[in-house]
Amino acid sequence: MRDLSTAALIEAARARGTRALSEHDSKRVVAAYGVPVCREMLAVSPEMAVEAATEIGYPVVLKGCAPELAHKSEAGLVALGLDDEGAVAAAYEEITERMGGTCEVLVQEMVQGERELLLGMVRDPQFGPCVTFGLGGLFAEVLDDTVSCLAPFAMTEALAMLDEIRAAPILGPVRGLPPVDRKALAAALVGLGRLALDHPEIAEIDVNPVIVKGAQPIAVDALVVLAQPD
Amino acid sequence: MLDRLLRAQSIAVVGASKGKTPTGADKLGAAALRYLVEHGFEGEIYPVNPKERELLNRRCYASLRDIPGKVDLALLLVPAPACLAAMEDCAAKGVGAAVVFASGFAEAGESELQERLISVARSAGIRVLGPNTNGFVNVADNVLGCISMVCRLESFPRGDIALVTQSGALGGSMLGNGIELGGGFSCWVATGNEADLTVADILEYLIEDDGTNVVAMFLEGIRDPDRFMRACHRAGELGKPVIVYKIGASEASARASASHTGAMVGSDRAFDAMCRRYGIIRVDDAAELVTTAITMSWLRDKLPRGRRVGIVASSGGICGVAADECARWGLEVPELDPETQDRIRAAVPPFGAVRNPVDVTQQIQSYPTGMQDTIRAVCESDAVDGVVLLMTMAAEPRASFYARAFCEAARASEKPIIVAWAGAVSLASEGFPMLSANRVPNYRSARGAVKAMRRLADYRIFLERRAEKCET
Repeated sequence: MRDLSTAALIEAARARGTRALSEHDSKRVVAAYGVPVCREMLAVSPEMAVEAATEIGYPVVLKGCAPELAHKSEAGLVALGLDDEGAVAAAYEEITERMGGTCEVLVQEMVQGERELLLGMVRDPQFGPCVTFGLGGLFAEVLDDTVSCLAPFAMTEALAMLDEIRAAPILGPVRGLPPVDRKALAAALVGLGRLALDHPEIAEIDVNPVIVKGAQPIAVDALVVLAQPD
Repeated sequence: MLDRLLRAQSIAVVGASKGKTPTGADKLGAAALRYLVEHGFEGEIYPVNPKERELLNRRCYASLRDIPGKVDLALLLVPAPACLAAMEDCAAKGVGAAVVFASGFAEAGESELQERLISVARSAGIRVLGPNTNGFVNVADNVLGCISMVCRLESFPRGDIALVTQSGALGGSMLGNGIELGGGFSCWVATGNEADLTVADILEYLIEDDGTNVVAMFLEGIRDPDRFMRACHRAGELGKPVIVYKIGASEASARASASHTGAMVGSDRAFDAMCRRYGIIRVDDAAELVTTAITMSWLRDKLPRGRRVGIVASSGGICGVAADECARWGLEVPELDPETQDRIRAAVPPFGAVRNPVDVTQQIQSYPTGMQDTIRAVCESDAVDGVVLLMTMAAEPRASFYARAFCEAARASEKPIIVAWAGAVSLASEGFPMLSANRVPNYRSARGAVKAMRRLADYRIFLERRAEKCET
């Protein structure tokens, strides 16, 4: 069944004429299909940002948020580890200034963990939606350690995929780190497959990085890219 | 649908001749006719050539249209420019299928000529194999429309492996190699340019063929992925393994893409993802395609229940090699249970290793039933799912002594046994051939044997997961 809010978010992006959903909207879409995402709120003023931070709990992260905004860190649009109201307000001003004044800012819980993973989907023109699991963050680019399966597939298949990247031992237990909640990861993979099948307008999805906090995988960034309209 | 092609009962050979090439070989039109006759095709054969009255003791017709009886299949052995007229004759005659061997069509930039040829065929309801193909051999029914020199083999051993290749030259080589390795085949089809029939059409047909249990495919690309995937799905339902060697892994995989995932997962990895979903065994070496198909054909009823391997050899060195290969290919080599170790200890010389890998030592030759007893003990242990037997240098008659033990053990075992014969086979002239003759999969290296065991285990896991999915 198509998720109505997902359809609405996709429609809105289409209406704006953008190919990608904003980080916040992307997360809402993947969260609706079972991908655990970090707590976050949008703010359009420093006061709102402070209020959001108080509700989420310090420390927080602030990020500039707009559709098709890539490479946020490189552009100086991400402020990590903000511990108090003053830091949040200052970061808000700095980010909005870099973005040209008018924009939304995401206030997120600061998810900390040693392990970063990636979940994704790409719709192959021949075979259809390929759901991918692999190492995330910096390692995604350097090590290129992934495994893919054509959707749809069941939990048993998704659980088996987790073991097939070269770096599978990182899922632990390893070096004092607890084993990752494999069911949560596998359910997220199954969910991305369902999302792709329910919404053929989606061409690609990145959920990267998924930071493992304790045992819990939590997506701190996401990107949903739509197909070119016909 | 493809009966009039692959199970044709009457075949016209258009362009049949007795001509020779400058090197003294048969011209294609002569070869195709000769192969058809020599391999015992039992239906009607109609050579067509206006310049000949008789070929291989058969009346030769000036035109397809002059043939009195029904014609299921026309083999078109004329050059590309003459194919259009020949296809029009096929249409007028009401032929059911045609094989177009000539090159000089889409692969050479002549797409328009190919289009015209196919549109004539389509409007007459003729299914076309090719152009630019070596044709096909239906081994089970002795029906062939083939110009590959693999037909120079005296006979094709029958079996349950179907080979489907887009390349004719490579396909013929694979069939020849497979036969030399002792494999038995039901069919080989080379699809060439796939102007009409594609690998997916052929797969769809062969999967339903009762005489085919394993399909091996050499692919360059897939034209109709939906049909291909449907056929693969059906293969899974029937428990018939599909083994694929697909080129293209070396192509730059990056897509023009906006996400990391898109940049990392190119078309070749998407093919991998498709293979995973449908349980297709994708091998990474052309030679492995044939050997895996043969192993699958011989051990389809004895798939390992897991990835735990017992290793038995008479050399400590190759035990170590096999253990390393198991680690490399994700197989476990567990320590055997104490009861099994006791059984082995009673069967082998005092310096043997009994924990797994099991080294029976060279002295085992002084223990007439030592090898059999050891292999049986390992096979019967609950600690392992399959057994790899390794043979280092052994000349006759010792080679036969070991080979016999291997064959007997394989026959008695409910678990898969795969042999790696690393020694010189010319010195094992009786023993080594005994293995294939008894349908015991054999490789020339530990890696080959271990990798094959992994493929079997993977397929079994796929079938189990499939069954679970059906239950839930």
